[in-house]
Amino acid sequence: MDISRRSFIKLAAAQSAVTAAAVLFPGISFGAWKKVDGTAGKIEWKKTPCRFCGVGCGLLIGVSGDRAVAVKGDPNCSVNKGLCCVKGYHSVQVLYGQDRINKALVRKNGKLVEVPIEEALDLVAEKMKETIKDKGKDSVAIYGSGQWSIPDGYAASKLFKGCIGTNNVEANARLCMASAVTGFLTSFGLDEPMGCYDDIDHADVFITWGNNMAEMHPVLFSRLLANRKSKKHVKIIDFATRTTRTSQAADKSILFKPQTDLVVANAICHEIIRNNWINEDFINKHVSFHKGKTDIGYGTEDHFKFADKAETVDFDQYKAFLDDYTPEKAERISGVSAMDIKYMAATYGDPDKRVTSFWCMGMNQHTRGTWINNLVYNIHLLVGKISSPGNSPFSLTGQPSACGTVREVGTLTHKLPHGVVMNEGARKLAAEIWQVPEEKIDPKPTYHTVEMFRALDRGDIRFMWVQVTNPMVTMPNLNRYRNGAEKDGRFLVVSEIYPTPTYDVADVVLPSALWIEREGFFGNSERRTQHNEQIVPTPGDTMCNTWQIIEVARRLGFQKQFPWSRETYIEDIWNEYIRFHDNPKHRMAPYKELKARSGIQWPYVNGLETKWRFNPKYDPAAKGDGFDFYGKPDHRAWIWLRPYEPPAESPDSEYPFWLNTGRILEHWHTGSMTRRIPILHRAVPESYVEINPDDAAALGITNGRKVKITSRRGTVAMKASINGRGNPPRGMVFVPFFDEKYLINEVTLDAFCPISKQPDYKKCAVKLEKA
Amino acid sequence: MNKTDQKIGKVFLVFAGICIITIPLVVLLALSSEPEEMESAVLATPRRDFDHNGGAIFESYDRISQDYIEGSSTERTLSEYYARRQYAGSPPYIPHQVEEAGETEIKCLTCHARGGWTEELKRHTPITPHPEQVACRQCHVKMTTDGLFVATNWLSLPPPRLGRSHLPGAPPPIPHELQMRGNCIACHVGPGTVTAIRVEHPSRGNCRQCHVPDSYVELFQRKSES
Repeated sequence: MDISRRSFIKLAAAQSAVTAAAVLFPGISFGAWKKVDGTAGKIEWKKTPCRFCGVGCGLLIGVSGDRAVAVKGDPNCSVNKGLCCVKGYHSVQVLYGQDRINKALVRKNGKLVEVPIEEALDLVAEKMKETIKDKGKDSVAIYGSGQWSIPDGYAASKLFKGCIGTNNVEANARLCMASAVTGFLTSFGLDEPMGCYDDIDHADVFITWGNNMAEMHPVLFSRLLANRKSKKHVKIIDFATRTTRTSQAADKSILFKPQTDLVVANAICHEIIRNNWINEDFINKHVSFHKGKTDIGYGTEDHFKFADKAETVDFDQYKAFLDDYTPEKAERISGVSAMDIKYMAATYGDPDKRVTSFWCMGMNQHTRGTWINNLVYNIHLLVGKISSPGNSPFSLTGQPSACGTVREVGTLTHKLPHGVVMNEGARKLAAEIWQVPEEKIDPKPTYHTVEMFRALDRGDIRFMWVQVTNPMVTMPNLNRYRNGAEKDGRFLVVSEIYPTPTYDVADVVLPSALWIEREGFFGNSERRTQHNEQIVPTPGDTMCNTWQIIEVARRLGFQKQFPWSRETYIEDIWNEYIRFHDNPKHRMAPYKELKARSGIQWPYVNGLETKWRFNPKYDPAAKGDGFDFYGKPDHRAWIWLRPYEPPAESPDSEYPFWLNTGRILEHWHTGSMTRRIPILHRAVPESYVEINPDDAAALGITNGRKVKITSRRGTVAMKASINGRGNPPRGMVFVPFFDEKYLINEVTLDAFCPISKQPDYKKCAVKLEKA
Repeated sequence: MNKTDQKIGKVFLVFAGICIITIPLVVLLALSSEPEEMESAVLATPRRDFDHNGGAIFESYDRISQDYIEGSSTERTLSEYYARRQYAGSPPYIPHQVEEAGETEIKCLTCHARGGWTEELKRHTPITPHPEQVACRQCHVKMTTDGLFVATNWLSLPPPRLGRSHLPGAPPPIPHELQMRGNCIACHVGPGTVTAIRVEHPSRGNCRQCHVPDSYVELFQRKSES
């Protein structure tokens, strides 16, 4: 956005005011930033959830004229109670990068050229129609994100699943949360945490499973530190594969070898049973035991198919299964001392301690992601520490609306807003609400994310629309999928705010509005729905993602399904969407209340939020005494017999190092937003590879020296960081993935959990050389 | 008595019956709320600055030594203060060397909770107004470069002007947001503070008796009928 003549005059006036002040106070020149206007303090504060992670902090955005100029934490939001992290405090600066995409772009003769947005939308609709006619309905796809606002995902699902009739709807949350979802569904039959952030204020012990909370969920981690500070007995145990800021802050740091969390979790259960620390009453009333398939594969080949089959067993069979997992045997595989395993078991087993486990990508991006989620639930179920204040197995989310949009609206190939496409009742309900013929909704799921990009490469998919995500940085085994997207006869539409590597391969770029430039909803990790109003005007031709979908839907002839006006469409979509969840297990708050409050938790029944599900004291859908795990037909939570199986690829003599990838505090995902925020870029301007000091010494690598990292799939050369922020153990390196200059995902492996189809970004084998 | 009156009477009777049964139930439920819920209600109260947390502010005032309170230096300027921020009130970056390992908490507060002279930097240490927050590096980051990824069109408000007393010699109002910055002495007293905003009467502890927040809210005003 250029400075208009009017605001230039304002700016000049402001500058002269500053000059006057400088005259009054010799030696002072004010401020490092440019000033918006001369009337100091003219600021209005407006509430919104934060744009970045899944914590869902409430922000107050300071607005002056039509510009966002400052941020403070929303003291009324129970999530963060007025505190933010460095990303949140500077989040509004993401609106003002100089290369903001303000106009639609269409590739003509190999170059992206600006066109009026109407022309671009016409082309998108035309291309979709043509592709469906030539190659069938399953040749078009939409790929969204856990950063999709709820109405974006809802409109996408309605258009593709309801109107076009294809299940080619996926989102990057598949790369982020899918194992959490299948973990919940297999153990409890219903998705999303039973507890809430209040657990942090009640727990006596926190155990973080492969979860660097201090950097990834900093505001929650601060809340955890505040609890520890106010009650001296509170302890934090960090159970991880590398030493991080979280390990530094923890009372105890325990390191395990990659993938062996499966062994340790089972060994903890073994110890709990051996010492009779189990909650027998809870197990008798509320738990049943089940076994699934084993030796389930890794999905590295095209058209990989897997379906698990549950077999009911009894407690004795479960005990016999655990015989293989004595702490001593577990020590040999995991590298965790038997003493530490017994310590963790004793902590979970202590009847006087309330224990909360936290995890996120370490357990979800795992070729046995569903299994490890099940195993941590097993621990909590054996001791009955669940669904009550402070007793909580808590699966944290990565993105601001992975829960709200992807999991609740169901923007995954097998899902509908309520239920799955395979279920006739769910199709009937969707068809009725969407006003489409029931037979229009296809009962067969098509492609999960990795397979969707494989289908694009193979040519089974010819048209793909990408919104709010950057797959050309984030897909594992990236070379294959980028080459696939660039092949002839593929048409890629990208809704974006800034140029990215995905933008570079787009055929059409639609300029998107950012979160506070439009109205919408996010849903955070603790089942909290958060409304944001439009706070500043949309720049240039930028358009809300939901409205982009509506425009295209109308061009495809679906006026009847997309009838809303530009003034009220977000409210109208909300009112239509919540009909899917109109039952005491999932009722959502009405629009008006969401607009007024800093987030409301569902199930929202009779004007009350549900803080702990499955517990009749707090959850109106739960019946009877104690607990009611109503997600499963037997009203019990399921303990699963899940063994240890090795990862898809382990270090060997040729590729002797583990490669682990992830985020850091300052940068959000691929950095397309945070790198345009001055302070965040200046703090961490480029990515690096963390190497253990002993490994570095053995290889003759010094700090800052370039290192070549090579796997069987690709290679990248970047600077070494020794004794930096994190410290991997010997035999492991860690690379933050935010930097498009160093595409670490060209090196990673596209193996995934056969149940959740979520890839494992934490484990593959690489070799290191001085570059 | 006609039939409608009888109907109304019946409705009232039923309503009264319901009230007699439910009111004690409601009262009982309210009285029987569990200690856990009470605890959670207390914990859920948002932390507000001075008015709800004034005790802590006075305690931190007591902890600071008289020497520090009366100390002064000219080493810190307002332009330097704002140069470390993206807008008035944003968390400043860390302008000195910091070690990475083990820094999540405590280490920053060793110096920034109570102030003092640092031999290494040859300066007086400024005090944080919110020492109860211990994960300092969650908001304060170290700069490693001057450059930008791409240029930015960021603008913000000018910082508040100084010395805005409403009458000559009167105490100036507080021109900035107070959230997380409610502890006045942290930034306005002692040798670690910015010279231009250091008060001349540092040993008076109850700042807010004279200095009140300056409000910019556009208030409702009744317009008289014309």
